[in-house]
Amino acid sequence: MKSYRKYMTSKIVWYVLTFVVALFLNFLLPRLIPGNPVSTIVSKITSGMADTNSIKRVYETFEKEFGLNKPIWEQFLIYVSNLLHGNMGTSFGQYPRKVTDILASSIVWTIGLQLPAIIVSWILGNVLGVLAAYIKKGFDKVLFPVFLFISCIPSFGFAIVLVWLFAVALKIAPASGGYAFDMIPSPTLSFFLSVLQHYQLPFWSIVLVGIGGQSLGMREMSIYELNADYVKYCRLLGLKDSKIVRYVFKNAVLPQITGLALSLGTMVGGALITEIVFSYPGLGSVLFNAIAAQDFPLISGCTLLITTGVLIANFVIDIVYGLIDPRIKVAQQE
Amino acid sequence: MKNNFSIIFKSSKFRLGFIIFALLLLSVIIFPIVNKEDPLKMNYTMFQNPGPNLPLGADNFGRNELVELIAGGKTSLIIGILAGGIATGVGLILGLFGGYIGGLVDDVLSSITNIFLVIPSFIILVLISVSISSRSYLTTALVIGFTSWPWTARAVRAQTISLRNRDHVNLAKVSGYSIPKIIATEILPYIASYVGMAFILQVASGILSEATISMLGLGPQNTVTLGLMLNWATMYEAHMSGAWWAFVPPVLMIALITFSLNLMNTGLDQIFNPQIRS
Amino acid sequence: MAEKLLEVKNLKSVYKTRFNEKITAVDDVSFDLEDGKCLGIAGESGCGKSTLAMSVMGYYYPPLFYESGIVNISGIDITKIPYNQLRKEILGKEIAYIPQAAMNALNPTQRIINLIEDVMEEHISGITKKEIRKIAEDRFETLNLPKDVLQRYPIELSGGMKQRTVIAISTILNPKILIADEPTSALDVTSQKIVIKLLKDLIKRGFIKAMVFITHELPLLYNIADDIMVMYAGEIVESGEAEEVIFDPIHPYSNGLMNSIIVPEKGIKGKKLTVIPGAPPNLKYKLEGCRFFDRCLFAKDECKISEINMKYVNNRSYRCVLQVDELKEMYEDGKKPATT
Repeated sequence: MKSYRKYMTSKIVWYVLTFVVALFLNFLLPRLIPGNPVSTIVSKITSGMADTNSIKRVYETFEKEFGLNKPIWEQFLIYVSNLLHGNMGTSFGQYPRKVTDILASSIVWTIGLQLPAIIVSWILGNVLGVLAAYIKKGFDKVLFPVFLFISCIPSFGFAIVLVWLFAVALKIAPASGGYAFDMIPSPTLSFFLSVLQHYQLPFWSIVLVGIGGQSLGMREMSIYELNADYVKYCRLLGLKDSKIVRYVFKNAVLPQITGLALSLGTMVGGALITEIVFSYPGLGSVLFNAIAAQDFPLISGCTLLITTGVLIANFVIDIVYGLIDPRIKVAQQE
Repeated sequence: MKNNFSIIFKSSKFRLGFIIFALLLLSVIIFPIVNKEDPLKMNYTMFQNPGPNLPLGADNFGRNELVELIAGGKTSLIIGILAGGIATGVGLILGLFGGYIGGLVDDVLSSITNIFLVIPSFIILVLISVSISSRSYLTTALVIGFTSWPWTARAVRAQTISLRNRDHVNLAKVSGYSIPKIIATEILPYIASYVGMAFILQVASGILSEATISMLGLGPQNTVTLGLMLNWATMYEAHMSGAWWAFVPPVLMIALITFSLNLMNTGLDQIFNPQIRS
Repeated sequence: MAEKLLEVKNLKSVYKTRFNEKITAVDDVSFDLEDGKCLGIAGESGCGKSTLAMSVMGYYYPPLFYESGIVNISGIDITKIPYNQLRKEILGKEIAYIPQAAMNALNPTQRIINLIEDVMEEHISGITKKEIRKIAEDRFETLNLPKDVLQRYPIELSGGMKQRTVIAISTILNPKILIADEPTSALDVTSQKIVIKLLKDLIKRGFIKAMVFITHELPLLYNIADDIMVMYAGEIVESGEAEEVIFDPIHPYSNGLMNSIIVPEKGIKGKKLTVIPGAPPNLKYKLEGCRFFDRCLFAKDECKISEINMKYVNNRSYRCVLQVDELKEMYEDGKKPATT
């Protein structure tokens, strides 16, 4: 257990360091825009305002948040201290809404859509992968190219086709939104059913594409494991194939967990775009609108939130992985 | 060398992938020579149906979808190859030097690699693209290339470490060769097949990255790419008006390009990693 | 005469390549194994000795295929019974196996005790985890293995300990026959000795009744085997009592094999070290005459012409056209194999 604590401590240090780097990039990159973004944007927001006092107030808000006219390191400190106070600034595009409020209302939708979709595609993909490796027959000729082709379709491309097919042509599912447009979010059955209906297409478009990639990776790992010496030895001990496949599954799926951690960033990216296609009220759509409106505080808030989410997910996976794989446990002791 | 190529082509997967890719490549090169129509010219009506002179109809701007598809495929391929080349190059250099030199250099390089492996490259791509107000397709390729090297760097480093204590490397070391020379003559040849495969995958992911970033409205300007075509189709709700020709062809084109690249990669993998051979 | 536990008759196994070529890896092999005996099988890597082990255990997975012959284990011809019966009633129970590279023979993510549980539950219906634990602990104690190994993962064990653990697991059901495929080749000398002692101990205590010991080091068999078979290119080229085959080999190949290994054993010390030149023939092609022809220093034209049958002299047999005295004379004469 001592070694595990050491493993965990080093992981925590790494993730904190990574987070600081991410934070810095998040702060710095948007500030590299030539010119003074605040004054351009403020003039845009205030173009309809006649009252000089309110224009001044808008300008002051942003000046305070950005710490303009101060050296860059001081701006960074202001940025971090604002963050620590839970303040991500005020949205340019949806002035005077706070960035944190906008993000809070959309993150629920994103997590609700992506977490189940990624987990379901991961599980289904891995089960299919190990079966494909075990059965083998005909897989290479027919199923493999099909799976590979599916995994090569970008999930948002798949999404557009699904909307057109099921919502427009066949009219069996709603085309966009997280719930019927004439409803107000409330804890009622009809609202819940509407959410469920709107859930189907985005969910399956993320799942199906994910299954393709996951099952291919798992198949490869399983073939590798099926050729391992212990499979032969277990067979010669008279163990049932179903039992041996279970060993193989466990051993092959463990590296897949790290695979999931590392591909999480890409998966989330693809899934965010899927939200845009469906006008799903999640972070993807918020980010899309923020980019269109050049709403820098909101963009920065979105990217920071997504990065943090991916980092946390990676961290959890790393910790769990260290707990369940004896190979890692021993590696820590050495 | 000739022998190597004939081995590669023995794999039916590599053959199929190569044929698809070569056909796609040929069509984007030859088509513009035959048909000189400007892909950005708005000659038709919005979402005009496919007809005898307009095999794939027109897009939201009334542009010839087929001409656009070929031009977009060409630009996307260029972006993918350029980005893949940059990512492979950067990853190769960092991985080789870190893995071979070891010690502090390796610690620093692999720390950087590990950090950028966890921060989604998609996010950095967004942040950089947001701050560059005018983007040509070359800029897009550069940005994608410089954000997607960590995978390659990590894998190349692992391979280099497994090689650096081999006898032939030690022999070169005691013979007094310089580090770059040892790396170039004693290590690089052994990981060349791997690097080739990594490049193929980087090209595929570069094309996908372009599509992703374009869908967010951060794609290159004044040009056509497959991602931009999808972006326009979504913004103008082609799928809602049933104009399948505005989005099915680019989706298929992206899928076909990445599919052919992945097939080639799998074929190569089966040749160079016999363990996985089923 | 003691009871025959294992009887192999004219066994033939082939590998089929992707291009449907047949490679006969075990060609017309026959032998018996009697109660209380240890049979050694020696030969270079690739001579088919491991394939023979697999074939005897009915382990036919592509690309290996059964071609013809009989394998009788406790009176049952295992080549004729369905796989499920073989798995349930024979494997692990009647005949057990110790693998070549014990290093990777154990599932890395499973504790030793869990594998023993799976093996015993598979063969003894209704046995409880508690009973299994008791049996395993007793057995480990009897065999001088630390009990806490049971709770370990394979990666936590040293090479020698892993090999001894594998032996204990393989014999937990007291199988009549144990097939040990190069059980010592990846180990250091000390661990080798411990493993050999353990294997002898198993017979002495009656946990197993007979053993087949496969190795590429012919002299190693002196310590453990009662009889020895020498294999070359899928065929048996010589068999007889261990001491005779080691110190007085008849077949030119056995003779070469004895001369090509340094092992500090009595009577072997000080012998000139030689290497048999050349490589075994490609079994893909139909072979005429003696398979050792290309590498044999005593080969004559007639060796290549007809099929060479086993010759039986006293208790021994060998596969060569020459007579025993002719060969002996040549070994004595200056026509010793060239030193390289």
